[in-house]
Amino acid sequence: MTTTLYEDRESAIHRLNPVTKLVAMLSIIIIVFAVQIWWVALGIVVFIVVPAAVVSGTGGRLLSLSLKLLLPILIVLVLLQGLFFPEGTTVLAEFGPARVTVEGLMFALGIGSRIAALVLCSLVLLLTTNPALLMTSLTEKGMSPKMSYVISSTLQIIPAFQTRAQSILLAQQARGLRLKGNPLRRAGAILPLVSPLVLGMFTDVEERSTAMEARGFSSPATHTSFVVVPDPVGQKIARWLLIAVAVASVVLSLLGVFK
Amino acid sequence: MSTSHTPVEANKVRNRVLIAIGAVVIIATYLYLVLGQPSEFAEGDFGQASLIAIIGYLLGSVLIAVGTIHRLPTTTIALVPVAIAVNIVVGQLSASIGLPIYLDSIGTILVGVLAGPAAGALTGALTNVIWGMTISPIALPFAVTAVVIGVMAGYAGRLGMFRRFYLAPIAGLITGIVAALVSSPIAAFIFGGATGGGNGAIVAAFRAVGNSLLASTTFQGLLSDPLDKVITFTIVVIILFALPSRFRSRFPFVREYNVFGKQSELAAPTRATRTGEAGDAAAASTSGDDSASTDGTPTPKG
Repeated sequence: MTTTLYEDRESAIHRLNPVTKLVAMLSIIIIVFAVQIWWVALGIVVFIVVPAAVVSGTGGRLLSLSLKLLLPILIVLVLLQGLFFPEGTTVLAEFGPARVTVEGLMFALGIGSRIAALVLCSLVLLLTTNPALLMTSLTEKGMSPKMSYVISSTLQIIPAFQTRAQSILLAQQARGLRLKGNPLRRAGAILPLVSPLVLGMFTDVEERSTAMEARGFSSPATHTSFVVVPDPVGQKIARWLLIAVAVASVVLSLLGVFK
Repeated sequence: MSTSHTPVEANKVRNRVLIAIGAVVIIATYLYLVLGQPSEFAEGDFGQASLIAIIGYLLGSVLIAVGTIHRLPTTTIALVPVAIAVNIVVGQLSASIGLPIYLDSIGTILVGVLAGPAAGALTGALTNVIWGMTISPIALPFAVTAVVIGVMAGYAGRLGMFRRFYLAPIAGLITGIVAALVSSPIAAFIFGGATGGGNGAIVAAFRAVGNSLLASTTFQGLLSDPLDKVITFTIVVIILFALPSRFRSRFPFVREYNVFGKQSELAAPTRATRTGEAGDAAAASTSGDDSASTDGTPTPKG
């Protein structure tokens, strides 16, 4: 299993400065939640997010990931709000305690379009952005190097931990640990699996912190970066514009303009 | 992260202010969502509430994460990535062997107990960031819940809830209830109650008997979170008791607040003798204490 969703390709979207993509993602999410109109959210998905994925050559991955992550939520949402919306008045059909109401379906559409925008936007960012580069450029923009250390090294440790968890699982099964049966029995299996993993983690930590101190990790001096991420003026302007639009949409929303 | 800050050496006042603002934003967001909800909900639309939920909770979590990271010494920073990896791997393991509980906060609670509420908050926030980056972006809006769990685990340790074996599950119960209360507005206002198949069915059942959406997601959370946290805290206390006390007392937070009671008094018994810490900290490992403003390198006093 790969740690992140990133796909290394060559495209205009991939070449954008990671911070620009992050700001774009956050601004779009804020705008979608501020404007509260379902067709605005769907419009942004159809005319901005999906084309961006197609241009970057990650459209296929985006489709399969959204089917896996988004579709179950949207189905539950439509069933839940479509059938059980006690506040609804315009009843379309009735099945015992469940009532299909127009209000419920509209509510599901509103929430669903926002969740779709949130998930798809984040996925496009993750599919087209190298996490290491994102951390480097965020550090250049003033984020603490400690933060980028924690995030980058976690992404590197996870596959090793997954392998370790799998071997612990196999080793304990070889000693007779049973994972079948009722939930209570399976819950009993947790401790023999978790404790070796956690105990191993402490050994890791000790080695790491010694190595980090030896390399001046906590030195207050300004840290320089090995990789310099290009950041053209056009993108800087674009970022401030996006932030301005997002802030404006929040202000307008709080003033009640979109109601 | 549009909120940028200067990377100068840790500034104690600024960090405290960031954490305080973050906490106030989170509490204000929660109060607004719970108290200000009925009027908007009557019309069946609460876009305003979703906006406030997503901005308030994310902003609060980011402020707390940014404020805490500067305060933590290198030993703690090195602990955070492995703790996050434990959260994610055990969470996946629990799902893969078909357990009905999440078990995705073992690392967060462990860090909270060993290194304090600030470290717990950071581990929680970043766990959801990493979960969002690797498994599903749906975890991101729930970052605030993980922050609260980490903070509560830290204060549970500080208040001595890990000195006795039977007190830890009680701390877990309280943490679970608070976690359910904090996360229910996210489930209701951002996800419309649809956070997963099983959860959705439970929310539907509460809705069918006429509860509001927020009440339904709160009840659903109260059915699953407290149980999950009781089990997680129990697992953590079992693991911690199995560790050699020399190991546990390596953490300045453990020594300062006597998290494990008398067992850890070997290393540095009381707060009064802490001024001589630089010496034994160097022996234990390079570290400052949880509230130290200078990063990592403790300066000898006196």
